[in-house]
Amino acid sequence: MPECENPLWPCAMSGAAACLSGFEGVTVVIHGSSGCYYYPATLLHAPLKGTFILENEVIFGSEQRLHEVLEELSGDGKKIAVVMTCVPAILGEDIRSMLRDYDVLLVDSPGFSGDVETGYQKALFALVPSVDPDTPGINIDGACLFDPYSGGNVREISRLLAHASVPVGTIFCSDRLERVGNAAACTIGTNEDFASSVGERLGGTLGLEELKTTFTRIGSLFSEADPGPVLEEIEREDERIVRACDKFLRRFDPPHTVIFSGFSYATFAAYTLKHYLDADIQYIGSRNEPGATSFHIGHVHGFSKVKELIRHYNPDLIIGSSFERSVDPKRAFVGLTPPVRGTIKLAPHAVAGISGSLSFIEDTLNACMDRRK
Amino acid sequence: MTLNPLPLNISRFGGCTLTGALSVTTQVRDAVTIIHGPKGCAHHNFSLLHATALDNDRVSLPDLISTGLSESDIIFGGEGALKKTLDMAVRQNSGAIFVLSTCIVDTIGDDVAAVCHRTPEIPVILIPSAGFLGGTFQNGVNNALNAIADIADPCQKGPYVNVIGEKNLEYEVEENFTEVRRLLGALGIPVNLRFLRDCSLHDISRLGAARLNILRDGEVRAVGERLQYRFDTPFIQSFPIGFAGTIRFIQEVADSFGVKSTPAVREEKNLQDEILIEFEDIAGTSVMFDPPGMASDTFLVAHEVAGHLDITIGHDGCRVPLQVSPPVGTNGIRHMLHRWRRAIHA
Repeated sequence: MPECENPLWPCAMSGAAACLSGFEGVTVVIHGSSGCYYYPATLLHAPLKGTFILENEVIFGSEQRLHEVLEELSGDGKKIAVVMTCVPAILGEDIRSMLRDYDVLLVDSPGFSGDVETGYQKALFALVPSVDPDTPGINIDGACLFDPYSGGNVREISRLLAHASVPVGTIFCSDRLERVGNAAACTIGTNEDFASSVGERLGGTLGLEELKTTFTRIGSLFSEADPGPVLEEIEREDERIVRACDKFLRRFDPPHTVIFSGFSYATFAAYTLKHYLDADIQYIGSRNEPGATSFHIGHVHGFSKVKELIRHYNPDLIIGSSFERSVDPKRAFVGLTPPVRGTIKLAPHAVAGISGSLSFIEDTLNACMDRRK
Repeated sequence: MTLNPLPLNISRFGGCTLTGALSVTTQVRDAVTIIHGPKGCAHHNFSLLHATALDNDRVSLPDLISTGLSESDIIFGGEGALKKTLDMAVRQNSGAIFVLSTCIVDTIGDDVAAVCHRTPEIPVILIPSAGFLGGTFQNGVNNALNAIADIADPCQKGPYVNVIGEKNLEYEVEENFTEVRRLLGALGIPVNLRFLRDCSLHDISRLGAARLNILRDGEVRAVGERLQYRFDTPFIQSFPIGFAGTIRFIQEVADSFGVKSTPAVREEKNLQDEILIEFEDIAGTSVMFDPPGMASDTFLVAHEVAGHLDITIGHDGCRVPLQVSPPVGTNGIRHMLHRWRRAIHA
C-alpha cells in the first residue's frame, strides 16, 4: 500500500467493532492496546471492552491477560466477541486455542488487513447469519454504527415497511444477536457499502426512484403487503421536492458539485442532485473502491487528494465529511459522510427512504442559498 | 473493573504514545509528521485531532503522512515504505519532518532511526512513540516536547514567561490559557511562547528567552526540569488551581520577576468574592461528586469551593459533575459552579 496523507477512512478493526457492537447481546472486546480501543470507543459510542495489553504481554504472550478479561466478562449471558488488532495479530499466538474454553467469537481483522468495510464484512461473516424461511417480513441491512445516519435510516425504513404492512425481519447490524440466525428470506438495503448478502436482495432505499422500485417489487412478491401508502407518499414528497428545486432554479444556476463519500451514498447524492437540480456532478471521490457508474469517479483515500480535487474543480457545492468542509468553510457544504464533526446532531437523521431524500435536498438547497447571501 | 479506562488507572489505560506525541507535533505549523504504521493509526489520530480542533473553533487540519504499512510490509519489514514516505515529505519543502513510530513497527523491529539518518536534506526529528510499547499518552507528549526543545539554542533572556505542555486535546485549552494570560497581565508579564501550541519552528527558537516557565501541570515536570537544565529557566509546576492556589500563583510569579503582587492579589480576591456572591443561591446545599474517584487536584478544588459556599458533600447529595483536570484559575471555578448550579436546579 502506498503512503497516504491524512487517511480518511477507518481501519478494519474499527469496522469489525462497528458491526458487532450493533447487536444487543454481544460484548465486544478489542484485543489490543488502549490506543486501539479509544478510537472505536469514541467513534461508535458503544460500550466496548478492551484487553489494554502492555509491553510484557507482547513479549511473554497475551494469554493470561485475555483469560483475565474473559473471566471478568463471562457469565452475564452475553456472547463475547474478541476483535484482533495489529500487534496481537502478528504475535503468532494461537488465540483460537487460547479461547477454546470460552464461548467466544474471534474476529481476525487487524487494522492493516483493510478498511472499515473489510472488517465489517469479516465480523458479519463470523456471526454466521442465516435465513429461516418461517421468519416473516423483510430484513433491513446496511446499518453500521460508524455511519451517523444509520440509526435514522433504520427508523425510516422500519416506518415505511410498517406503512406497507410488512414486518421487519432482522436488521443488519442493529438488532438482537439471536435474530442473526433466523433472518427473513428477503432483504432491502439502506447502504450497499455495508450490505449483508443475507437472503434475496429486493433492492435499495436510497433515493425516491430506487425506493419506488423496491416497494413496487415488495408489493408484487408479498401478497399481504400493501405498498400503496408508501408509493403515494413517495409521489407526494417527490412533488414537494420538485417544486422546491424548481423554485431554486428560477433564480440560481445548478450547483457545480464534487462529492466525497462511500460509493453508495455518493452515487445517491449524485443521482439526486442531477435529477432534481440538473446539477453538474464534476467528480465523485469515493472513500471505498468504486463500482460502475456513469459519473466521473475515483477512489480517494487521502486528504491531500481531496484538497487537490477541490482546488481543481472549484465547485459551488461540496458534499462530504467535515474533513472536506475544512478545506474551504466558505463554500456551500452538505454533510453526508462520516465524520461530520463540529455540528451537534441529536435527532436521528436519515439518508435512506423518503425522509432521507427530503433531508438531503433540504440541506442542499439551504446550503446553496446561504452561500449566496 | 479492569476493562474500562478510568482516569485514575494510568498504567494499562494510559492511552497511546503516538496520540500524545501527535498532540504536540501537529501544533508546529511549518512541519509535517510521518506516522510509520498502518494507515488506520493515522486515520484514528487525524480524525481525533480534527474533532478537537473543531471543538476549539479551528478548521485547519494537521499534515499527517502515513507510511500505510500493509500485511506484506509487516511480514517483510517496513523500512522501505518509511524511506519512500520520507523522500515524498522532503519534496513538500516543510521546515522539518517529525517521524513517529507505532506499536506494530516496534514489534516487527524496523530500524526507524537508521532510515531517518539517511535523510539529510532537512531536519528529521525522530520522536519515540511506539504506541503502547512506548509508554502512555503522557510519555508521548513529553517525548515530543523534549525532542522539539532540542531545536532551540540558549539565547538572551527577557521579562517573559513560557507556557509549557498545554493539553492540546483538552476541550477548554484556550480558555485555560486565557485565564493564565489574564493573571500574568495583571502583573504586566507577557507570554513569550506557548510550548507547544500553534507555533512555527522560528517561534520555537525563542524557547530559551523566557525568564520563567509555567508548566501546565505536574505531568510535564520532566520537561520543565530538562528545560531548566538546558536553558537555565526555572519553572512553576502548575497552572493556578483553586481560589487559594490562584493567589499563590500570582505571588510566585511576581516573586520570580521581582514585581509587587499586592494590587493583582487584591483584584483577584475581589473577583473571587464576587463569584461566591454570584453563587449564593446554591450555598448550604448537599452534593456528591460525579465521578466520585477523580484526580486529587480536582477533588481538592471541589472541596475548597464547597467549603466557601457551606455546601456539604455526602452520598445522598445532588450529583454534580467534576472534570478530569481541575478548573484553572478563578474563572475556571466560575465555569465549574455554573455546571453545579445547573445540576442542583435540574
